Amino acid sequence: MRRFIRRNAAGYFFLSPWLLGFGLLALGPILASLYLSFTRYDMVSAPVWDGLGNYHYMLEYDRRFWKALEVTFTFVALSVPLRLAMALGVAMLLDKGLRTIGLYRAIFYLPSLLGASIAIALLWREMFGIDGVVNQVLAVFGIEGKGWITDPDTSLYTIVVLAMWQFGSPMLIFLAGLRGIPRDLYEAAEIDGTSKWRQFWRITLPMLAPVVFFNLVLQTIEAFKTFTSAFIISNGTGAPADSLLFYTVYLFNEAFKFFRMGYASALAWVLLIIIAAFTALAFATSKYWVHYENERD
Amino acid sequence: MRITRRHLLASIGGASALAALPGLPAFAQERTIRHFWWGNPTRDKNTFAVIDLFQKAHPDIKVSGETIGWGDYWTKMATQTAGGNMADVIQMAHTFIHEYVGRGAIKPLDEYVGNGISLDHYDDGANEVGTIDGQLYGINIGSTTQAIPYNIKAFEDAGVTADLLGWTTEDFADACAKITEASGGAMRGSEDLSLYIENLEVWVRSTGRDLYAPDGGLEMTEEDVRSYWEFWGGLRDDGIVEGKDATVILDKGMAELGITRGTTAMTFRYANQVGAVQSLMTDPVGAAMVPQRPGTSNGHYVLPSMFLCLTRDAKDIDAAAAYIDYWISNPDALKALGIDRGIPPSQLGRDAIAPTLSEVDQNVVAFFGGIQDKVGPVPNATPKGAGEVRDAFMRTGTEVVLGNMPADEAAGRFIQDAEAILIRANR
Repeated sequence: MRRFIRRNAAGYFFLSPWLLGFGLLALGPILASLYLSFTRYDMVSAPVWDGLGNYHYMLEYDRRFWKALEVTFTFVALSVPLRLAMALGVAMLLDKGLRTIGLYRAIFYLPSLLGASIAIALLWREMFGIDGVVNQVLAVFGIEGKGWITDPDTSLYTIVVLAMWQFGSPMLIFLAGLRGIPRDLYEAAEIDGTSKWRQFWRITLPMLAPVVFFNLVLQTIEAFKTFTSAFIISNGTGAPADSLLFYTVYLFNEAFKFFRMGYASALAWVLLIIIAAFTALAFATSKYWVHYENERD
Repeated sequence: MRITRRHLLASIGGASALAALPGLPAFAQERTIRHFWWGNPTRDKNTFAVIDLFQKAHPDIKVSGETIGWGDYWTKMATQTAGGNMADVIQMAHTFIHEYVGRGAIKPLDEYVGNGISLDHYDDGANEVGTIDGQLYGINIGSTTQAIPYNIKAFEDAGVTADLLGWTTEDFADACAKITEASGGAMRGSEDLSLYIENLEVWVRSTGRDLYAPDGGLEMTEEDVRSYWEFWGGLRDDGIVEGKDATVILDKGMAELGITRGTTAMTFRYANQVGAVQSLMTDPVGAAMVPQRPGTSNGHYVLPSMFLCLTRDAKDIDAAAAYIDYWISNPDALKALGIDRGIPPSQLGRDAIAPTLSEVDQNVVAFFGGIQDKVGPVPNATPKGAGEVRDAFMRTGTEVVLGNMPADEAAGRFIQDAEAILIRANR
């Protein structure tokens, strides 16, 4: 043991800033929130132990918890496939080897950088408002618009569109993946007279499967955590009629608006479990559809 | 000038660069207090002006001002409270003071009154609402009341002649119809106010009841809410208030209001905010009473809109007390503050601001004076959970505005939700 320490001391010394940071800024709060999730805690007076009270209330009585889950699952189910399709499509266009590809990459990546910002969410609210740009464009074609954001039937879709538009980071990863597919496979297919469409399904997609898998897992986690756009567009309330009550917005309000940090911690742990379950599901099914090149030998 | 230990240490501290270094508290004798308030651009400018004045008068005390909008204010306040680093002096609202006092985050001020803080010039009863369980926790820094800011020009163009200090809901509906007609539908009479629980409050109070009972339960009834939503539904059906798309945006900023956008002639605000409405539009703005149901009265009340409070985390209490006293007793400070936070609840304050009032402020002061004999008693204290009830009201009301639920069903749902919320918040 002593020899182990002596041999590795330098390593741990250089690691120590990260270890300290992780311990104090990540692990500590994580454990604290686990503890708080079993308490009633209003952020001012000391937490009061409540056992499983928070979880019981959540599952048994809290109508808005279920509403928040419904909104969030709908969003994830719609936005993740659409965003990945968009990212893959654009990546394939850019993969043609344009000379100005660097510029295009930057341009297409830009929305992702801006995406989480408050400015874009505000812009979105203006665009889809009753006298916003979207309705003005529709008016040109003689279509009468509506308050896209103020109608609970459509408000969620405006955020799905926003999420689609922020395809930059999966796009870059797809691009790298496409570059890694050996060209000779396509050449062989060309000689056999295989159509482009067939090439996509039989070569591109299978070869890209590990990258698709990676993007799917990451983007699903991202989508579950969506907060800023919904918060800003609904003025922090989840309005209209709770149609934008994303799980994180609900959690935030419980914690900081209604002083229920204990309950919010419980909500956060449930979200963690949900995300973990989805990730585990993705990994469990991956062996049926994800194949790695080195598995061939 | 008498040289005290503080002055001496402050000048030593100022001369020594060491004092500026963190981690050397023994040397950091420069006295600092933090003041945190929710604001708007006008209010922030006025407040920083007062901070400058105070620092000139007390060169040994440094005040750092922190400001943010209403919505984020309470988030930041809750976080600071949990973290044990609340500002020394904070601005407090009547909707939250019980929450914070109940949790021990605010210090009582009684021992400093007459001993650093002078309240001699205050109106009788002005600090009643800030007094909880016999102790003074919040000093009233402005009185206000519910109001309907209205576009004076639009009223004249449409020939509305109702008595705006005592009109009924029927007069109001009539005015909305006239304005909508006179503008050819380009300007509706009013915003749809059916989601403002503060406006419902006047409706409920005109029957002699409050939103909340003294024991922290509900006093408003399903019938109150139903009739209120049906009244607004009628105006919506007639097309004389703004449509649903503008209505279901909750907690709108000043620039999103119908009146500032020019799409309506009226909205709901508190009287002290009328000046801020005016600053965003060119037509002159006046203040009208919230219309009351025919045959009833006294729905309005005079509300201390904001309090100054000393927090649990305040360290240099003498400095904080000196600052608070300067705020409420120094004529220059009062003049710089104007009426953005409300009408000063002291003759000293009203005299100080009188010569500097703009036209819109004069309108507001006249309105405030004109309703004094028409206001009811101060309502029962707002219980814990009232903020959540407000959200539930807007949420359920939205379903009515969107036509998803009839008013009677929604009213029943809201009352049920509100009762559950209050029980949970107060267990």
